[in-house]
Amino acid sequence: MESKIFDKETLLDLTVNFIPLGIILTFIAVFAVVSPWGFDIRASGIMYAVMIIMFTALGVLTYLSGKAIAGDEKTKPVYSQGQAFLDDSEPIEHEEADHDVDQNDHAVDETDDDETGAGADNEETDAESDEEVTANNDEEATADNDEEVTADNDEEATVDNDDESSKSDN
Amino acid sequence: MDESPGLSDQYRKASPWPVFVALGLPLSEIGLVFDLFPIAVGGLLLFCGSIVGLLLESEYATTMWKPLIVMSGLLGVFGGLLIVADGTTDVTLLTRAYATFAAAIVMALGVVAGKLFVPKRGIPT
Amino acid sequence: MAINAQIALTVFMGVLLIAVIAWLTRIEDWRSYSASAGGVVSQGERSEYIEQEKPAGIVRWLTTVDHKDIGILYGAYGLFAFAVGGLMVAAMRIELATPNTTFIEPAVYNSLLTSHGITMLFLFGTPIIAAFANYLVPLIIGADDMAFPRINAIAFWLLPPSAIMIWAGFFAQPLGLGFGPAQTAWTMYTPLSAGVGNDPAGGAGIDLMLLGLHLSGVAATMGAINFIATIFTQRDENVSWANLDIFSWTILTQSGLILFAFPLLGSALLMLLADRKFGTTFFLTDGGNMLWQHLFWFFGHPEVYILVLPMMGIVSYVLPRFAGRQLFGFKFVVYSTLAIGVLSFGVWAHHMFATGMDPRLRASFMAVSLAIAIPSAVKTFNWITTLWNGRLRLTTPMLFCIGFVSNFIIGGVTGVFLASIPVDLVLHDTYYVVGHFHYIVMGAIAFAGFAGIYYWFPLVTRRMYQATLGKAHFALSFIGTNITFFAMILLGYGGMPRRYATYLPQFFTLNAIATVGAMILLVGQIIFVWNLVTSWLGGKRIESGDPWNLKEDGVHTVEWQWLDRRIETALTDGGDEEPIADGGEVRTDGGTESDDD
Repeated sequence: MESKIFDKETLLDLTVNFIPLGIILTFIAVFAVVSPWGFDIRASGIMYAVMIIMFTALGVLTYLSGKAIAGDEKTKPVYSQGQAFLDDSEPIEHEEADHDVDQNDHAVDETDDDETGAGADNEETDAESDEEVTANNDEEATADNDEEVTADNDEEATVDNDDESSKSDN
Repeated sequence: MDESPGLSDQYRKASPWPVFVALGLPLSEIGLVFDLFPIAVGGLLLFCGSIVGLLLESEYATTMWKPLIVMSGLLGVFGGLLIVADGTTDVTLLTRAYATFAAAIVMALGVVAGKLFVPKRGIPT
Repeated sequence: MAINAQIALTVFMGVLLIAVIAWLTRIEDWRSYSASAGGVVSQGERSEYIEQEKPAGIVRWLTTVDHKDIGILYGAYGLFAFAVGGLMVAAMRIELATPNTTFIEPAVYNSLLTSHGITMLFLFGTPIIAAFANYLVPLIIGADDMAFPRINAIAFWLLPPSAIMIWAGFFAQPLGLGFGPAQTAWTMYTPLSAGVGNDPAGGAGIDLMLLGLHLSGVAATMGAINFIATIFTQRDENVSWANLDIFSWTILTQSGLILFAFPLLGSALLMLLADRKFGTTFFLTDGGNMLWQHLFWFFGHPEVYILVLPMMGIVSYVLPRFAGRQLFGFKFVVYSTLAIGVLSFGVWAHHMFATGMDPRLRASFMAVSLAIAIPSAVKTFNWITTLWNGRLRLTTPMLFCIGFVSNFIIGGVTGVFLASIPVDLVLHDTYYVVGHFHYIVMGAIAFAGFAGIYYWFPLVTRRMYQATLGKAHFALSFIGTNITFFAMILLGYGGMPRRYATYLPQFFTLNAIATVGAMILLVGQIIFVWNLVTSWLGGKRIESGDPWNLKEDGVHTVEWQWLDRRIETALTDGGDEEPIADGGEVRTDGGTESDDD
């Protein structure tokens, strides 16, 4: 379960927090090596405590939030922000998943950016993207998804979602 | 936000108590800090009374007697602490302690009077 | 005399209490469940609510527990405080137009300085965020209301008394009550604020200010608990953690910060009050001054993020709407928001680098302060990337969002330098610091607030503001902000110290420029208020729930759907004025049709 949630994609999302963690870690190392004011248990203790506490706290929160967000992402339909219960909104696919598709990368990107498209060929692009996403999902289904979350089986996904949310809300 | 559009506007969403809780708290703070006996007593009564009103309204309590007694007791303890602390500070805290006691006693008397004179009703649970 | 005063107070309190009781009994008439009468409460809360409507007139606003009404109250209150704080600083800037005392006395200047800071941070910043959060979070996450509607109302109603107490000194002086406003600056450093000697910095004015601040802290904490409970428990079933919108994420993080920071401020304030009134010596013994600074900044630095995070949330929410695409790297923004939330508690002593604390300790705070720059920078890149190749529509809210990003970069980069100890030791307590944080609080926080106000103005009022005035407001604000605060950064490089009513003649030119900038800002804000008031009263009605044409780009969101339904149900009344929208047309900025107001 853990390794499923923290797959490559999620870790990539979390890099944003690894950088400050790395900075703090670097400073801890630097202060351990270079200490122009010597070591004093009271002052140096607090010094390390500040950094280590921050490092740990950020690490724990990153882990917990990553688990909550990536966990929900993999078990429930994902919508764009603010569109979760919009009447005509459909779940979006995971952005990064699309980049694995080697063919026709450009078209995928376009439909990804604005779901309904901007031009007159609106419907065409939509249809294309649905197909592609489904195909893509099939390929990857064995890798990380037990159930397909595609536009086709909307109903299943919603039912699944009901159970999950009632559990997690309590 | 369900199937019934705009319905949330038709809900009656009003309560008279919050504004008085928010008035009672600063009044009692000012009264206690600046040693203004009447303000302290009045503010505490207003604050505690409004909280009781809220509890009743939101059905956390069914009658006002129990919350009033609890608050009266809390104020009594607080006043007692002030008397204990009085010996250790340069400033006299006695009048402040008396103010909290006064508010506590008024509430306790209210409970006694209520128990004696207000006829029991069928209290919905 | 003293007896008479006591009697007068007693009579006053008696009359007040009787008035309250009388008013309550009158109110009981329209209340089906009355506390003392043990009325009808059998059907449970919910069914009762449907039966009755809100009372009419002013009583509705006094008694409302509806999150939307409370949001509007917060907004009106925040804007009023913004006007007060703005007029205060206008007086200060006029004084600073010349090196010597010409317009206001130094004591008045100090009072205005103190009140300007506290007003803007506690009475404008926090409430205006609560305004957005109250109105929008329940709508966006699909909750019926806040988790604790009555606590919500209490949290708001604590604010007007707290404002009166914070400003009390200004009324007390002309009334001859024997005390003036506090002159401690918003940081209230001891021993000045502890009332040593004959308490020259404000006397009872400080006591009242401390109480008022304490109250506003209580209010903020109650609000925060409410938001956390609402976001955790009241979400629509479709709103999972993975698609909780960015604004709610920032409100959640902000509420967490408030929960840890404000109670500490409250305790520190009470300790200071005890030092002043009850003869304790928390901050008067050896090390007491350092203790105050540590306690204050342990609250004070998270406070900065309490103000800026939700505003970043608004920008992250609004900016993509007018770029015609979704926010780039949505999860980066969420994770970095959380990172800022945690790290903000490990940087407080960077406000105290010059105090002579142990250099090893100082070094650790520098480390964390430099680390916290990363998440903020990440967001900036996300916003810029969202704009990249987007279909930009330069409506007024969008302009303010872009202005936010621009000002935030300047304010943020100047801040990174201050995080470095050697640089800070040179620039500490100069106008550089003032320029830096005003780029953030005015250039970024207030700008995002304006963006939010313009963006959701049709949602709240069902009318459209006047686009030309909105753009004028933006232009004046942006130019004024950059003139004023860039001049301050240069003044800081020149070594001009903060907080003085007078200065050396060598700083005259830049100070004059800053004053001119401040006046431009003032004109811009007058236009803003005029625009808001006239548009609210007589602006053009919007006809659909999509005044910004968001559907066209697929960036429509649920609060507009809510508005759509509201308009549909209320279609019978009004709606006779011809509708128009600022962002309604694609070529808004050419602005032929919407600029006719």
